[in-house]
Amino acid sequence: MTAPIPFTVIGGFLGAGKTTLLNQLLADTAGRRFAVLVNDFGALDIDGKLIAKHGGDTIALANGCVCCTIGDSLVETVLKLLDGPQRFDHIVVEASGVADPGRIADLGVLDERLVRDGVVVVVDAANVRERAADRRVGDTVLRQLQAADLIVLNKVDLAEDLAVLRCFLSTHATAPVLEGSHCAVPSDLLFGLDRRGASGKPSPANSFRSWSYSWPEPVDRAALLDVLQDATVLRGKGIVRFRDSPDRRSVVHQVGKRVDITDGGPWSDTDESQLVLLGVRPVLGSL
Amino acid sequence: MSTIVYAARRIVTMNPSQPFATHVAVRDGRILGAGSLDSLKGWGKFETDERFADKVILPGFVEGHSHAYEGGVWKFPYVGYFDRTSPEGKRSPGLKTLEEVVAALAAYEKTLPRDGSTLFAWGFDPIYFTGRRMELADLDKVSTERPVLVLHSNFHVLNANTPVFAKANITRHTNVHGIVKDARGEPTGELQENTAKFLAYRATGFDLAGVLSDEEATWRFARVAQLAGVTTATDLHNPLPDSTVEGYLKASASADFPIRLLPAFAGASVPTAQAIPRLKELMRKNNDKLRFQLVKLVTDGSIQGLSARMRWPGYYDGTPNGVWNVGPDELDRMVLDYHRAGFQVHIHTNGDEASEVAIEAVEKALATAPRWDHRHTLQHAQMADAGQFRRLKALGMCANLFANHLFYWGDIHYAKTLGPERAERMDACGTALSLGVPFAVHCDAPVTPIGPLFSAWCAVNRLTASGRTLGEAEKIPVADALRAITLGAAYTLKLDEELGSIDVGKRADFAILDDDPLTVAPEKLKDVGVWGTVLGGKIFEAPRS
Repeated sequence: MTAPIPFTVIGGFLGAGKTTLLNQLLADTAGRRFAVLVNDFGALDIDGKLIAKHGGDTIALANGCVCCTIGDSLVETVLKLLDGPQRFDHIVVEASGVADPGRIADLGVLDERLVRDGVVVVVDAANVRERAADRRVGDTVLRQLQAADLIVLNKVDLAEDLAVLRCFLSTHATAPVLEGSHCAVPSDLLFGLDRRGASGKPSPANSFRSWSYSWPEPVDRAALLDVLQDATVLRGKGIVRFRDSPDRRSVVHQVGKRVDITDGGPWSDTDESQLVLLGVRPVLGSL
Repeated sequence: MSTIVYAARRIVTMNPSQPFATHVAVRDGRILGAGSLDSLKGWGKFETDERFADKVILPGFVEGHSHAYEGGVWKFPYVGYFDRTSPEGKRSPGLKTLEEVVAALAAYEKTLPRDGSTLFAWGFDPIYFTGRRMELADLDKVSTERPVLVLHSNFHVLNANTPVFAKANITRHTNVHGIVKDARGEPTGELQENTAKFLAYRATGFDLAGVLSDEEATWRFARVAQLAGVTTATDLHNPLPDSTVEGYLKASASADFPIRLLPAFAGASVPTAQAIPRLKELMRKNNDKLRFQLVKLVTDGSIQGLSARMRWPGYYDGTPNGVWNVGPDELDRMVLDYHRAGFQVHIHTNGDEASEVAIEAVEKALATAPRWDHRHTLQHAQMADAGQFRRLKALGMCANLFANHLFYWGDIHYAKTLGPERAERMDACGTALSLGVPFAVHCDAPVTPIGPLFSAWCAVNRLTASGRTLGEAEKIPVADALRAITLGAAYTLKLDEELGSIDVGKRADFAILDDDPLTVAPEKLKDVGVWGTVLGGKIFEAPRS
């Protein structure tokens, strides 16, 4: 069976910059084939030369990516995609401005061909506190922050008081925060490490880097969780031999604050634990 | 060009210049005139038909908020708390305990072929049961081999048995919102959110949306409406895929199709730039019995589903505020787009914050693009207060109030969701009437059964299922309630010049009643028998069980 396809949800209130983020993703896919599901093509900025085929609710791109409008049912759109002939490396869904992206990410367990990746919530630094105080939409905004595995704090150039804003976010969300303007944050952090588990490309922003480990001995589960839950680790992926279940491969998948550990079947004798981490400098503690 | 004059015990016309008549003349499917036999003789040769001589004729009822899914669900057994009548006129008695529900399902299971196919039932309504919730073990008593799915009357919650959970691989480790788990962390059998329910539907290969909206379902919907005296009904939220449109076109082309059907396009299902040309294209296919012209937008959820958007002080029992389906900013944009394109928008608002946001969206659209007689309508508007009704009036908006809620969920609203004061002024027909806001009352079938006389009874008596009177001050007189289910509802659909009253030139759409709703005791209004209907001059007698 082929490896399941990571399923990422981009949430955030209207105008936060979700589309900007998707435009960047589509402009630089690093060779990966993304399926991007949006509510409306209108705001997407796709280079006309890239469009291989425009079929109403689907746009196929020359680089192997595809954009679809979600239509009436997200579930049906996702299943249609999975049942279709084209294969993808990653599925990304743009949540509506008032949706709870955590609920949408549930679809990642709908089908064994999918694996839930992260909930990335884009936050507008210029007005998130005002929105959060609005009596009609405040609770919606806060729910989105709480659902985030990773937060992109966008438009920091427009923020009047960044320190207060950071404090606000740490009060209302537990997810790590990546700051940027025009959603300029490394796409590896948002959309994961290379599927084959090799170390991700060095990120252009030198404040991030990746680490790759392999080792033969079983490891203590709690010790590894401690490492992953360190605030400097933003993503992790690997296959680990835990001391409490040395005969089983434990598949570790981390996006921001969320760590999923699933059973990956029995080990063959020769395999070693492997772990790739992506995070913030300075250097992590050793394993 | 034959003319038939029907004699009746009494004809209640809804025409203020001639409220009552004894005879109505019909020619070419339209009303040639109403009055006394003498007053109709001048139109020339006619035949007299005495079959309704002991009946009372009203304008055909107009159901302004229902869903054609009502037709689809009758393929499956009904297991609700209240009695309900099928399209064939068969009465399913209400099931009053969990044990009765399980026993009814077990008996039904024995009638199914031994092929492992899924047993689906609907209408389950445990709100009035005392004691525990339904669990996996209850439905395992129905079958431990066949998948069993029981959908609640609110259409949001689903119960299933162990075979379904096994097939869907739902365990204590399945980390999805809406899988209800007990204190030990084990799934109980209840699934509350779309993804959780979808796991069950997918595992059993059961395509609910598909079976609920085919051509047969459209026919059943029309029949169940006809039984209740309805001649015009809405299917008030449908993304209108080609397959559904095809079914509607086929059904409505038949001379035997017993209603006029108005589907409302699900206005948020595709971007407005695609929706508007599509809807205009669909309108070219309109015929006498099928009208594409309405747009529906859904702002919040439901009060009893704990997903309504409420203003302060929110839910009476402290439940957090509900969720937006379409939030304030997006609603402004969508309302403006459809408003500009000339459409009438029906906006679902249950909570009072949702109503406020919808009213303001229309207000902004009108400031940007002034337009007369738009009749944008709040659907449900259950918590709207007098201030909001004044704004509706000032803006030229209408309200279609969910009167049936008073009976079916009034006790819950009183005790849990709204508290006494707001429960007593919910679905404020009295306020709408006194402020002159054009209004209708509705059933939202299949959420509650289609039955305009029952909806009118709710507006008149405001009785809950337990017998409590909910808001004496909001009661309305029978005559006004009858107007709300005929001309009033027609007005909210912009059809009041064509139907809704018995008046020269209008369509010959009648509800034929066994008794006179204006002379029976108001608390008996719901029990007035419906003999059948007349649609465009064609007689549809209701089957009697």
